[in-house]
Amino acid sequence: MLDIVSDKMNNGLNIHTINTDKFKTNLINIYFKRPLLPQEVTFNALLPKVLQRGSKNYDTSQKIAKKLDYLYGSSLGADVGKKGERHITLYSLNTVGLKYIDDGDLLKESMELLNELLFEPLVEESGFKAEYVKQEKVNLENKIKGRLNDKNRYSYERCIEEMCRNENFRLYEHGLLKDIEAINEKNLFNHYKNAILTSPIDIVVVGSIPHEHVKKYMIDSLKLQQSNVIAIEDDKLISRQGSVYEVNEEMEINQGKLSLGYRTNISYKDTLYPALMLYSSILGGGPHSKLFTKVREERSLCYYVYSKIEKFKSLMLISSGIEVDKADETKQVIQQQLEEIKKGNITENELINGKKALITAIQALGDSPAAMAEYTYSQIVGNHIITPDELIKKINATDIDEVVAVSEKIQLDTIYFLKGSGKGGNS
Amino acid sequence: MDYTEIRGEAVNESIYNKRLNNGLEVFFMPKKGYSKQYAIFATKFGSNDLKFKKLHDKEVIEVPEGIAHFLEHKLFEEPNGNAFDRFAPLGANVNAYTNFNITAYYFTSTDNFYENLKNLIEFVQQPYFTDENVEKEKGIITQEIKMYQDNPQWRVIFNFLKAMYHQHPVRKDIAGTVESIGKTTKEDLYKCFNTFYHPSNMILLVSGDLKKEEVFSRVEEFFDDEKPMEPAKLVRYYPDEPSHVKNQYIEDNLYVSTPMFYLGYKRIPKAAEENQISLLKEEAMLKILLDMIFHKATDLYQGLYNEGLIDQSFYADYVCEPDYGHSIISGESKDPQRVKETINKWILSLKKNGLKEEDFIRVKRKQIGENISHYNSIEYVGNTFASYHFKNLNFLDYINILKAVRFEEVQQQLKNHFNEERQVLSIIKPLDRSSNIDN
Repeated sequence: MLDIVSDKMNNGLNIHTINTDKFKTNLINIYFKRPLLPQEVTFNALLPKVLQRGSKNYDTSQKIAKKLDYLYGSSLGADVGKKGERHITLYSLNTVGLKYIDDGDLLKESMELLNELLFEPLVEESGFKAEYVKQEKVNLENKIKGRLNDKNRYSYERCIEEMCRNENFRLYEHGLLKDIEAINEKNLFNHYKNAILTSPIDIVVVGSIPHEHVKKYMIDSLKLQQSNVIAIEDDKLISRQGSVYEVNEEMEINQGKLSLGYRTNISYKDTLYPALMLYSSILGGGPHSKLFTKVREERSLCYYVYSKIEKFKSLMLISSGIEVDKADETKQVIQQQLEEIKKGNITENELINGKKALITAIQALGDSPAAMAEYTYSQIVGNHIITPDELIKKINATDIDEVVAVSEKIQLDTIYFLKGSGKGGNS
Repeated sequence: MDYTEIRGEAVNESIYNKRLNNGLEVFFMPKKGYSKQYAIFATKFGSNDLKFKKLHDKEVIEVPEGIAHFLEHKLFEEPNGNAFDRFAPLGANVNAYTNFNITAYYFTSTDNFYENLKNLIEFVQQPYFTDENVEKEKGIITQEIKMYQDNPQWRVIFNFLKAMYHQHPVRKDIAGTVESIGKTTKEDLYKCFNTFYHPSNMILLVSGDLKKEEVFSRVEEFFDDEKPMEPAKLVRYYPDEPSHVKNQYIEDNLYVSTPMFYLGYKRIPKAAEENQISLLKEEAMLKILLDMIFHKATDLYQGLYNEGLIDQSFYADYVCEPDYGHSIISGESKDPQRVKETINKWILSLKKNGLKEEDFIRVKRKQIGENISHYNSIEYVGNTFASYHFKNLNFLDYINILKAVRFEEVQQQLKNHFNEERQVLSIIKPLDRSSNIDN
């Protein structure tokens, strides 16, 4: 399904090409990998915001935006995220395929812009432009504070934060409010100089460009000069310590948000991992799942309820939006479903439906450039590569006993409840 | 077989069309090399349709707010379980959505396509409403409504619409209210179903790496499409909507960190004799105009950004329906009022000094590229094609209309559209306690 060609260019730089002409676009994703650490998480989060403000030859974001618009709306974005205790920065360039437009230099010029942004920053007096840093610090602060605007996601992330309170995984990908103030144009620039040289880089390209051309494009257009590339620690399994941890938080909202955090004790490298995926699919992976059927359809307790695996951290989260006074009932029904699976009470249909849902999702990856790139990188980053076809085979081969075996390992760790006080304005 | 080809030369796509004897319009867009198949079965019935009748009936029917959405939920109910159970063993994801104007049911699959398609066609045409199952759904929809009440992005939009429109039902929440949901009965649902789920009021669109002959022949077989059917003739009643806005300003307080705003202008009433194609053109002209003024590459955006008045969430868009329309300029800001004042000053000076043609050329190229990129997603094209079809528009044609827009036409829109008397500002402010939170 995915035809990936990978090339190790030098220490810490890999280029991966997925060559297909079924899309209208070419996607170039550049991933920088950093350790997720309190001392640098806020620097990592701020850096792409500042780099996007201007480069040596395009010293304002307006000049960059004008150029991108003119290049038939090429987009050049940046984002930060966590994969286990790794902090990943993704720079993503998306351009229209050359056969649809009358501009033969489109890709070349877009690549130049990407290079500018990453490797030719705007430097004033051995630091970034102070004004840009100052403004982006404010934007970052607003971004972090704005976390509570999306209550569903906030509750999910707060549960993880509480569960992993003694691990670096607790760190919010956009950084820490308290650390913003101490960042300035000089220390951020020093961080950049170090990070740009020493971070492991993966470039994933999805589009109609053959691998050899991709390689040449990247080497010719990007000023990659890596040295002393850092090693990033492998993921560790952490089991629950002590009894279940309960956290209640109150907010003036209409709907309560319940999130349950579990330790799976199963690594993605474990042979049992596909069974864990299946476990979560049967439990809360969609309308076919036990949670959807019991919590929503039978009891009308919620509109949404789902379970989700945090692959690299070996966690599972269950999340739902409910009436505040229904929290105990909901917890009880959820707990019952986990018990049912543990007892092996999984019907043949549930098993098949759980498998099919996973398999369809995996097969569908191939129809989205971004999803394909993301899947590819998720394999690379953990240094444990399973092709979609292999993964499908493994899921198909999983039986009920293995799903039950997963049950034996999973531990409830943290219950987080964002309590609505019912005063969230009128409607 | 007698289907017609709708060609999209600029994007190298074709859509094949056939009208069945029962009145259903069927479309197929081949997507070679795609693993996914997609089908959408949609009716021209949305939250705006609250008062209607069949042409030859005397009785005018009025139904509670949120009924289209309620019906959408309930069609999944079947005598022995729910429609999800049909699709799950086939590995297909089935879902549905309701907006102001349409209700759409769709699935994506990677296997067993025709079995899934048959299921889709069947379950959408077989209502099974009982007092008990209607009652059960009220709890679920109430939680859905409460989820949206806590969603500031959603609230800022609906307040905006409430302020902009006096009468038009677009000012009402799509899901209705907890009260209107409470009043809804199975009889209401059947009335709506019998009126709007007639094949001649619906479309079916299929996309994927499939053979067109087979798509059409299977669809005909599933519909048992032998005899011609009388098309449904419906009358929909929308109240008269004044051309001015109801309120120029609306605010609300929610648990958010920074104020959110929605600013926009109500469209000038369209002359009745204007033909439908002008709707596509209106959309293309306004979207170009909005990007020329508000997009990241503009002086206005840069000025607001550098002053710390907006961030990257700032954007502009245009909503263009036959019976209503407005622009949207949205974002987060510590001072939305000042954003509005800055915009108004800027527009005044633009009106005086005119737009720049180089901006026009650049924005057009941007939007052409964006339109081409959309064709990567069969879901996006399917949904968009369906909603355009119900407005008698052809989405494949949009890129041609876009290319043909002239600079002078956009200049003219600048004069017409931005009228401060038709401007609305909706703000969601933080509650006192949520404005200063330490993380």
